[in-house]
Amino acid sequence: MKKVVDVSLPIGPLHPCFKEPARIKCETRGEFVLSAEVELGYVKKGIERIMRGRPWQEVMFLAERICGICSVIHNMTFIETVEQLSDIAVPDRAALLRVVVNELDRIQSHVLANFSYCYTIEHETLAMYLLNLRETAMDMLELITGARVTCAYMIPGGVRFDLRPEDRQTLERSLTHIDTEIARFTAMFKNGPLIGLRSRGIGILTREAALEAHAVGPTARASGIAEDMRLRHPTYRKLGFEPVVYTEGDNYARIMVRFDEVRQSIRLIQTCLEMLPEGLIRGGGSVVAGEATYVGEAPRGELTYFVKTDDYGRIVDISVQTPSIMNIEACAHYMLTGVTSAADVTSTFISADPCVACTER
Amino acid sequence: MSMIQSMKNAVRSRSIHVSYVNVGSCNGCDIEILAVLAPRYDIEQYGIYVHNNPREADILLITGAFTPQWEDKLESIWNKIPEPKAAIAIGNCPISGCVFNRRGSFVDPPVAKHIPIAAEVPGCPPRPTEILNAVLSLAPVVFKDYEEKKA
Repeated sequence: MKKVVDVSLPIGPLHPCFKEPARIKCETRGEFVLSAEVELGYVKKGIERIMRGRPWQEVMFLAERICGICSVIHNMTFIETVEQLSDIAVPDRAALLRVVVNELDRIQSHVLANFSYCYTIEHETLAMYLLNLRETAMDMLELITGARVTCAYMIPGGVRFDLRPEDRQTLERSLTHIDTEIARFTAMFKNGPLIGLRSRGIGILTREAALEAHAVGPTARASGIAEDMRLRHPTYRKLGFEPVVYTEGDNYARIMVRFDEVRQSIRLIQTCLEMLPEGLIRGGGSVVAGEATYVGEAPRGELTYFVKTDDYGRIVDISVQTPSIMNIEACAHYMLTGVTSAADVTSTFISADPCVACTER
Repeated sequence: MSMIQSMKNAVRSRSIHVSYVNVGSCNGCDIEILAVLAPRYDIEQYGIYVHNNPREADILLITGAFTPQWEDKLESIWNKIPEPKAAIAIGNCPISGCVFNRRGSFVDPPVAKHIPIAAEVPGCPPRPTEILNAVLSLAPVVFKDYEEKKA
């Protein structure tokens, strides 16, 4: 009689599919995954320890180096926390320009996440199309902010550079290009039979499980939870923002949420450009003593900053909660349990878009 | 030059396998390495393949300031790579620790303390073209006439 042996299957920390080091330990029976555990701690640098006692001018640059993929939202959330605790008002033009840059960052982050997923399920054609499209979004970020990754575009009371009229035309043309291309790639993803075979019904996170695991961001929205921190942001409220929700909760839904959010971001930027008033991009104001908690919506979910400052604008205490830690745990305990093949473990893990650098800081 | 050496030179000039390891980076340099794969920069037209498997790699790209977890692991990854091999430090972090090299942090830069580094590409993060340029200019230096230079 054939003996069934329980196998402990370690994946990582260095794995061809992973951009970052993380270790997944799976307990399997044959190829059926019984349970999984994610081991972290490979990129722990202690950024919050360095931040304490430094002036905000330094912490601003440290904050955006928490994560290289979503550096703009870390910058934006930190600056808006500081603005909240010192009552600094932002001019209308600057508030809208912040949304433009933040949504461009979201576009490149979501396209990169979908690239990683397509690369993991070995659909290299679509992956390369997406990676090439991402370069257009990166060019636009560079055009507006002057840097590809670490932009440091936002400062308390405004933004650093204005959008010039000729740049605005280039931006509008690029957005139209991204829009038509993303529509084509979404159709490729939707109708590809092999993609469907590897994505539909795999790594299911039900609504109940998502609530229990406190999943956030696109992972939660793919499981039918209509929660998005942009709904509470004053500028986004003016733009008439509605979250994208899917109810299937599988790998397919998570990728489709990101595709739809890319197109939604393009609409948001276009609305911003239409509404963009003339005027100042920097107001006044200085950072005073106080403490505040502020929540922003990163490409991966809600990002919380707690900041406490003293009279000289130095950071006395700071703590950051990043979205990926919730999604990684939701992935380990709910999505990976019951995955029928070891080949789907990596693709399910990547579909939750884990950002290990964010998580460990 | 022996015939076998010239054959090896010809093969190696168009077949370089690259692996990358993140030893405590913020992901900024990692996504710039990924961007090199994009058809715009097209690293594969130079015969460079990114596989991220140390056992078949020729060049190891290292990003990030060195965190304690990698103390023994980075060296074992380095030992798994077959000769001839070279390591390139991408970004400021493996060179100096960049903004993370402050009192109170857990990092231990530079990476050159732990494994031999053949080239360094500074920048926070460097542009994809700079990464591509570093790989392309280092490869002939390390791989051309490797056996004859060793003997």
